[in-house]
Amino acid sequence: MPAILETAGLRKAFGGIVAVDNVALSIPEPGIYGLIGPNGAGKTTLFDVICGRQLPDRGTIRFEGQPIETLRVHQRARLGFSRTFQECRVLVEETCLDNVLFAAQDKRLGSELIQCTTRNAHARQAAMAEARRLLALVNLESYADAPAASLSYGQRRLLEIVSVLIARPKILLLDEPASGVNPTLLNTLRDFLRRIYDERRIVLLIVEHNMEFIMSLASHIVVMHQGQILAQGAPAEVRADARVIEAYLG
Amino acid sequence: MLTALLEQIVNGTMIGCIYVLVALGMVLIFGVMQVLNFAHGVLFMAGGYVCHFAFFKLTGSYPAAIALSMLALAALGLVLERAVFRPLRDNIQMQIVASLGLILVIQNGVVALWGPNALQMRVPTAETIVRLGSLSFTAQHFVIIGTVAVTIVILQLFLVRSRLGTAIRATSQNADAARVVGIDTNRIFLITFTIGSALAALGGALLGPLFLIFPQMGDLPLLKALTAIVLGGMGSVPGAVIGGLAIGIVESVSTLFIPTDFRDTVVFGLLILVLLFRPWGLFGVRVRGEA
Amino acid sequence: MRPLLASTGVLGLFAALYLVPVVAPGQLYALHILTLALCYAVPAIGLNLLFGYTGLVSLGHMGFAGVGAYATALLMKNGIVGFAPALLAGAVAAGAVGLLVGVPCLRLRSHFFIIVTLAVGVILYTLFNNLDALTGGAEGLPGIPRPQPLDLGFIVFDFRRPQGFYWLALTVFAATFVVQWMIVRSDFGRSLAAIRQDETIAAARGVDVFAHKLAVFTISAAIAGIGGGLKVTFLRAAAPLSFELLESINLVMIVILGGAGYLLGPLVGAVLFIAIPEVLRIANELRLVIFGVVLVLLALYAPRGVCGLLAALRRRLGSKGFAHARHS
Repeated sequence: MPAILETAGLRKAFGGIVAVDNVALSIPEPGIYGLIGPNGAGKTTLFDVICGRQLPDRGTIRFEGQPIETLRVHQRARLGFSRTFQECRVLVEETCLDNVLFAAQDKRLGSELIQCTTRNAHARQAAMAEARRLLALVNLESYADAPAASLSYGQRRLLEIVSVLIARPKILLLDEPASGVNPTLLNTLRDFLRRIYDERRIVLLIVEHNMEFIMSLASHIVVMHQGQILAQGAPAEVRADARVIEAYLG
Repeated sequence: MLTALLEQIVNGTMIGCIYVLVALGMVLIFGVMQVLNFAHGVLFMAGGYVCHFAFFKLTGSYPAAIALSMLALAALGLVLERAVFRPLRDNIQMQIVASLGLILVIQNGVVALWGPNALQMRVPTAETIVRLGSLSFTAQHFVIIGTVAVTIVILQLFLVRSRLGTAIRATSQNADAARVVGIDTNRIFLITFTIGSALAALGGALLGPLFLIFPQMGDLPLLKALTAIVLGGMGSVPGAVIGGLAIGIVESVSTLFIPTDFRDTVVFGLLILVLLFRPWGLFGVRVRGEA
Repeated sequence: MRPLLASTGVLGLFAALYLVPVVAPGQLYALHILTLALCYAVPAIGLNLLFGYTGLVSLGHMGFAGVGAYATALLMKNGIVGFAPALLAGAVAAGAVGLLVGVPCLRLRSHFFIIVTLAVGVILYTLFNNLDALTGGAEGLPGIPRPQPLDLGFIVFDFRRPQGFYWLALTVFAATFVVQWMIVRSDFGRSLAAIRQDETIAAARGVDVFAHKLAVFTISAAIAGIGGGLKVTFLRAAAPLSFELLESINLVMIVILGGAGYLLGPLVGAVLFIAIPEVLRIANELRLVIFGVVLVLLALYAPRGVCGLLAALRRRLGSKGFAHARHS
């Protein structure tokens, strides 16, 4: 059985700066994986390369055994990659419900143009119940018809996460989901993410700076430093690793 | 044939210098403020009109009229930046809409004040003939080339040697970083826009005596200057200079081979080709890796 | 309940528009002005889809109208086909040019794309002005015949008369309006709206941004082509000046004034732009100066135009905005 996600020799440089340097990441099976490292370690760039927002200078990425490094963002999304962004992106003019429903929509141009003429709302209606259920999961059901712009930052983070869930992704990449979230809500967020994994058994790859949050959530931690993978393993191992300690302190 | 070529090269250099003036203003404004000022063409045209007014109604001196027109348009630029472009700082689309509105106001305002017909501005330098071998040009041709050359040098010295110029360059590279080191970027934007407007006015004032002054006189120079800054690289001052001269010379020389009617098409075709194959131009910064 | 009200309101508006010649039979000048406004409203719908809903600025859009116009004109003048096929041929021609332009240009970043649309508009105008054999050059193509009368037995529509052509223009506009409505209220429209708000999100959620932009650009050009064909049939002549840069700017003005991203924006903008100055009998230059000032003021204070202001007013007054809603 091929690994779900596997990169080999991945390299991405911007001008003189090598953001991702010869990264060989392997995610063999579903689980909650944490990706940590000091600022500038290359974590978000790695996310961008995995999702297709940046094309690698060198190296391969395999998803379920198939090479995907030449595929564009939307093609990888349709394969099952969903991601949230460090800066938290939602469609601010749309209602929360529409934000979630959009993610469920069949976005192939041909299908859309056909739907335009047939006016078939069946798929949208079918997704409606699931969309509301997901909003309820994060206590946003009363905001269903409110524009996303009216949400607080923490609520937008949650909206962003449930929006991508409805598309039934196989890999969920979350870029600093806890950042900016009120400390009292962190437990709720952690439980929610754990519940996603328990229910769906997919891969969650989470970039995080909040050590306590990610260490208590992930089963496997990958540490990046200066574009390379420094160490990986169970949280306890990684926490005790001398190189990791030095990278953060040195 | 060679003489015809030489004639067009001189013509091309002259008109290229005019394009350089408009392009310099636009590239400064774009480089520093990230604003594509489509109204730059009408500022150019207004410069011609104000110069005409100053020359005939205020002072009989052409240089004084030029100076007055530059001052007037600088003042207008100041007002426009403060009142229109500053509030729209982060909104590219509305900046463009506003500059389109300014085009309508200024172009039609000019027609309302001066009428739709072209004006003549006969100045001594445009009446004097200069002979180079078998070719003859007006003295104005060389006045233009000379003035623009001097302007480029002054501008370059200003940008590199003066504190204000350095602040302008710093802001164009990274406005946030400039703010952090204490540069008042609002003031820099204002000054840049003012300088740009004055340069456009200079262009209109210099070209006026040669080709008449009329409301649409800035339309084509705007598009040619846009082509020049794309060719040269959107934020690059040397690029604007080389781009402007190149376009002037290419378009003049092309009239030897292609019917004049299609001269402008040549330039815009060049624009599209550059945008398709090398959008960062000759000296611009390429943004790589965007999927 | 709300969508029903909205549809009723729009239907009522169209009914009223159809009844204008019946209710005010002697007002031929007003009819002329309204028809001209409709000739601008159609290409404005195309630009509205492109700019208002997808967020792409096109400063040369009347160039595409010109392509459609000349195609329609040539077919009508030589009596090759009737009006409807000629109009559709114009749409196809304009759409094809749009596709041709869009493929290389839509990948460019926004500043560059805007400049390209400007250049394309100027190039098309230069071609209209100089390809004398095809377009008649600066003089254009005069003597375009009106469509043959439509005999329905109990009533005959004579399109050579103002009332007849007004109804024809209104019907063409209505058909285009329906197309706009269908696009906006569909999954395709939702993807376009997502692209406008945040391309990164759209792509990350599976939208092929380039393909969508190309599709809407082509459709928008085709619609502009229909508007062009309608206009030259109305004016009975095709001339390059109808499609020059100033006209493209006017079209942008119409869309912004009416309200970019609102279904009725193009109609409102076109009527205001064409009809009001005529009614107030303002001199041409002054009219454009005023419009320039209005455009600057809109950009600064009311970027959502008249429909946007009305929608905001409605929200203030309590009832949630519907008839002019963007798409939900």
